[in-house]
Amino acid sequence: MITQEKIDAFIEKIPPSPKALRETIFALNAGELPKAAKAAKEDRALSAYLKDLVNKPIYGFRSEVSDVAQIFGILGVSRSQQAVYNYMITLLSPAKWQLFKLNKNSFNDLQAELSVAWQKILQHLNIDDKELESAISLLPASIIVSEALFCQKINDVKLLRSVHNIDFNTILQRLCEMDLFDICERIAQKWEMDARIEQIIQAASGVKPAEDADINKLGQWMHLLLFFTLSKAEFIEAGLNDFIDFQIEYVADIYDEFASVMEIE
Amino acid sequence: MRAVVKDGVGVFHPQGFLDGNSSASLLSIEDIEATIKLNADMVLVSLKKVIFFNRNGLDTFVKLFQKVRAANHIIVGFCDYDTKKYKTIMKFYNDELMFSLFKTQEIATLFAASFKNQSKNVLLYSDDKSQRAAMAIELHDNGHNPIVAQTQEEFDEKSKADNAYDIIIDDTFLGQMGQKVATRVTGNAIIYTVSSFLDAEIGNTFNIAYHNNSLNVGFRLFIFDAYKVVSMNVHALNFFSKLASSAAEYNATICFVGMTFEKTPLSFKETLEDAGIMFFEQMDDILGDKELLEELGASSAAAIKSKRMLNKEIVTEIPNFIDATVATIEMMTNSQALKEAVKMDKIEIENKENKIASSIGFYGDIDGMVILVFPQGIAKKACELLIGESTDDKELILDTLAELVNIVGGKVKTLLSDEGIHVDITLPRTYPNVDSLLEIAQDKKGVQVDLNFNNDNFLFFLTR
Repeated sequence: MITQEKIDAFIEKIPPSPKALRETIFALNAGELPKAAKAAKEDRALSAYLKDLVNKPIYGFRSEVSDVAQIFGILGVSRSQQAVYNYMITLLSPAKWQLFKLNKNSFNDLQAELSVAWQKILQHLNIDDKELESAISLLPASIIVSEALFCQKINDVKLLRSVHNIDFNTILQRLCEMDLFDICERIAQKWEMDARIEQIIQAASGVKPAEDADINKLGQWMHLLLFFTLSKAEFIEAGLNDFIDFQIEYVADIYDEFASVMEIE
Repeated sequence: MRAVVKDGVGVFHPQGFLDGNSSASLLSIEDIEATIKLNADMVLVSLKKVIFFNRNGLDTFVKLFQKVRAANHIIVGFCDYDTKKYKTIMKFYNDELMFSLFKTQEIATLFAASFKNQSKNVLLYSDDKSQRAAMAIELHDNGHNPIVAQTQEEFDEKSKADNAYDIIIDDTFLGQMGQKVATRVTGNAIIYTVSSFLDAEIGNTFNIAYHNNSLNVGFRLFIFDAYKVVSMNVHALNFFSKLASSAAEYNATICFVGMTFEKTPLSFKETLEDAGIMFFEQMDDILGDKELLEELGASSAAAIKSKRMLNKEIVTEIPNFIDATVATIEMMTNSQALKEAVKMDKIEIENKENKIASSIGFYGDIDGMVILVFPQGIAKKACELLIGESTDDKELILDTLAELVNIVGGKVKTLLSDEGIHVDITLPRTYPNVDSLLEIAQDKKGVQVDLNFNNDNFLFFLTR
């Protein structure tokens, strides 16, 4: 059904990050917002994405923001960087979703909801590190990878899952000894993202805790945040609720804290 | 979201946070209808992966329970929770608890009369006296040894003892129990559960089409679990006599277990015995006796008067059957299939060593049966995907094989329904070796397709 060759072909097809994007990220890393804005403007799709993103209700701006420099100014360095990473992930997303009932808009909603909530969590944890803030942008890549690998076999997978409670990540792991998060890691490497991002994403799978306690903690928060977000009606209807296995024990000790940060009653 | 069905128990596995919005999205109207049509003996919602729920979140499932119960009279409820969640649910539904609560899925199956894990020593406690009694009665009926702790202290004391009990039950609540003619397979016996008063109604509640097709697929032992039967009238007597004579055509055996004749005329028993029905006091008398079980359940050539031939309707659908089989096995083993030979004749198996087989019947607009003969290697590989590890446990492999054939059957069903042909499928029957398969299949004519997966020969046979 899915073979190592298919996975290799998928990874092979991941485009290198475009030049304008790299320059934008580079400038953002150096904290030079005007230079970053200038680079970003050259990529029309990126500009449009950023505009679309910050004008989503969840960001809560009263009037429309349209200039890239202005957007970067409002978001600040770390959130701008996160937004650019989010854009890079969308480059991988399929033109038409088949396995999950998503579209460009709802996928962007998912990214935005995760980003805003992640920000809240990092604030609560008193973490001020722009690379770690960007880590959340890679998480939705696991959804894209599932879609890409499983969309041709929707019916078979559905039948398999009708007799056995088994998630996409486990199916992939058992078939190819490589899981969704390993593939995400490869994406991160290809795009030269910070090495810690890969580690946090692996920990966020809930099945591969990191050795570093701080990274593991972030993995826990991210795992719980993912399921908090995927429990929203919009994403349940998209079929995302059980695409990976929720590891409830892994997040048990942070649940109360999480509930207070997210104001769950 | 759809329920995962295994051994007649359908389980939903929601994840994350359950509130009014999210759980409403989890269950669409089609999902609810599909659940009602499942024909399961028990429908459960596992809360294992749910970290947060509120009353609205559970209500969506409780409404599903009400609909399923009203339609099918089966056991419904939640399972897989901790004490905190149990108390919360009890608080939410204080006086209106119509569904059951089982601390684990394992506990739930004890009440599902599956006979898979029989004669368990069970320690149980509930602070509600009538609940304690109800649970003990149900467990006893299902062939277990319940030990009831009368107080929390006694329970704490007893539960400390290592290995004294197979299963310990607390934080469990029995809502209304089911009353359906339930079907399940253990080994190669089909068990039907009947209860209360058996009258003319049995003709409606008993799935005769299913029964006939099970006969055709090769099941030869049918056990009626009649522990809970109060009495039987003459209409039911006629029904079972007819059932027995139709079974005789296939050399099949029908047994009654646990039936008492306090309120049923003893002459009925004689009539039924004359018709060939056997009576046993305890389920263990049959299921515990491996020799008897083998003798009664062994596949035997059926002396069927009219030989059934493949007809045109089925032959035109053969590509669908093969596609379904090949696609499923390819998916489960991650290998490519090569079609080697196709012929129409009696089944012919070249190398009989290290092979296991399974058959599944279908009935409805067209009927027949598919036989699959697997090299053990392929069966093992498919098991790895489902259970996550390699195993040599033959029973487990046969069990998983049944699951796999079930998937094939499901796929055939979907492919055919795309063409407007509606069929139902029977439970799969498994054969530990080729000889036991040949006993029922050697005289049947059909279409045989030899396939090759990774240099292993795999055989597909379609017949009626």
